[in-house]
Amino acid sequence: MTTVDVPLEKTTHELAAALDDCHDQAAPGDVVVSPRGWVIASAARVADGAVVPGGWAELHAARRETPSPARQQALFADGLLRLQRQTLHRLLDAVVRRLEERTADGANLLNRQLVRGAVADVALALSEADDLSDQPGETRRRWLIHQVLVAAGRTLIKLYGASGFTAEGPGHLVHLLELLGNTYLHPGEGGVGDG
Amino acid sequence: MAEPDTPRVAALRGHVRQAAVGLREIGLEIDRDPTAIDRWLDLPAVHIMSGCTIPPEYLESPLRVDGHTYDMSSCLEHTVTIEELSYGDASFMLACPGPIMSGVTVGALGDDRQRDAYYRRMAAPEPVWTFFGLTEPGKGSAATELETVLEPDGDGFRLTGEKRYVGNAAFAELGVVFCRRAPGPLGIEAVLLDTDTPGFHAEVIPTVGMRGVRISAITLDHVRVEREQILGFETRKPSRRGLIGAIQTLQRFRPVLTGTAVGLCRAVLDHVRAQRPALHGAARRRLAEAQDRVEAVRQHNYAVASAVDAGRIRADRIAGVKTRAAELAERCTLLAAELLGPAALLEDPLLDKWYRDARAIEFMEGTGHIQRLAVFQGVLKGTFLDRAAAAGA
Repeated sequence: MTTVDVPLEKTTHELAAALDDCHDQAAPGDVVVSPRGWVIASAARVADGAVVPGGWAELHAARRETPSPARQQALFADGLLRLQRQTLHRLLDAVVRRLEERTADGANLLNRQLVRGAVADVALALSEADDLSDQPGETRRRWLIHQVLVAAGRTLIKLYGASGFTAEGPGHLVHLLELLGNTYLHPGEGGVGDG
Repeated sequence: MAEPDTPRVAALRGHVRQAAVGLREIGLEIDRDPTAIDRWLDLPAVHIMSGCTIPPEYLESPLRVDGHTYDMSSCLEHTVTIEELSYGDASFMLACPGPIMSGVTVGALGDDRQRDAYYRRMAAPEPVWTFFGLTEPGKGSAATELETVLEPDGDGFRLTGEKRYVGNAAFAELGVVFCRRAPGPLGIEAVLLDTDTPGFHAEVIPTVGMRGVRISAITLDHVRVEREQILGFETRKPSRRGLIGAIQTLQRFRPVLTGTAVGLCRAVLDHVRAQRPALHGAARRRLAEAQDRVEAVRQHNYAVASAVDAGRIRADRIAGVKTRAAELAERCTLLAAELLGPAALLEDPLLDKWYRDARAIEFMEGTGHIQRLAVFQGVLKGTFLDRAAAAGA
């Protein structure tokens, strides 16, 4: 298992750098090509690529002829999942701090039961993602963890209200992590996976 | 539940469905450049949106189909219209000029003179975009906690504050601003405001998706407001204007917004079927399950819209169907991205766009958290799960 040191800040630049670290952990000095022949990395790392859908210029996507060896793909996939989980954990911590400072009807938003419930849902999902890491079947397991984290991210981002949908808010990070999972972690035809 | 497609509704649905053909490519163009709507103003879909909620007598060519005339004063007909346009492209639909939500507020609160002036202006040949300014940076869409203030200034008022996440405000000519003239819920007013009034400023907030809405932030810096701009100020008691207009508009529009979600869901699932006609096994089953869920929420929404038309406003059920539809829109796009295979979001521009657009439904006209509070109250009262009450018995 590799380790990925994810920066605390929530910018696309830092996500791109962390993603490049994932590439380096799996394929030092190179990039990892997905089973379908796609590479997503920083714009500097994939200079010949196009900006990913949605228009975030820091990440580029490009076609390559040959997918990376399975071992590199597996290492990269594990790093990507850790990046996703750690990013969501930090966004959760940040939104809790944000909600502590906001009030409605004279009451702190974090004291609202629904808000507490949503915060708990995210934390439970992150915990479940950890629990699932011991399950058999690499491909199936990674996809399942990714799906759990996608659901957690969707719950989490709603705690940010509409600011979670702005291009400069945390929503774009969540979207990019989903795009990365769709590209690198999808198990294949029918979504069942071969595990 | 019976189909609501009476001959009148069926004629409307068929007409709008035709008008929605071809909107997806334009929707992609608008996703890249939201001002691209300006190049497509002659389309029938734009004509439909421009006339929604304007009485036919004001329009040179009101919507007429098979001998029926439509003004979208019916929540059900409005809902069916928006659902079919959203099946074409929801972001395109929301980019169109027209009264959208402000028209419902003016219709609900305005006096005869205010409504007449508004409808005349909206019926002019030139396209007019409008906005509905309720949400604020500090308080979201909590109407009772508005911080935008309306202060006396001679024989009129001055309006000061901020609004955020307001569709089309940066491109609108006029819109409704909710504000506070006095403490308490009775101190809330709805002001009809021209965007060229000194002190008004709005700019677009870039978003992840649904870019046709051109969600904007508004700054109001001592904007001059005359008494006649306050909706119902001369003719209604404080308890029958302002706050009640915000609530009525939101309740009237939530089934319509649910129609947006349902149209988007239908489009996504049909797209999956078209792209993967040979899906089998678990994948086929999951697609079928999603289809069943969409159809269920669609029928539920028709019942809610019909109840609104009948004067049976049920806040908990309106909130419930909106919440379910918003969740389903996200789930359908997530499922589609999975079923269409690896890198589908990179390779399929329509899917990528729907995938981003779907998330907007959640926060439009109240987030799921707010809606759940209404559902919770319905559960406490024993109304939310009461099927007899839901059927209007």
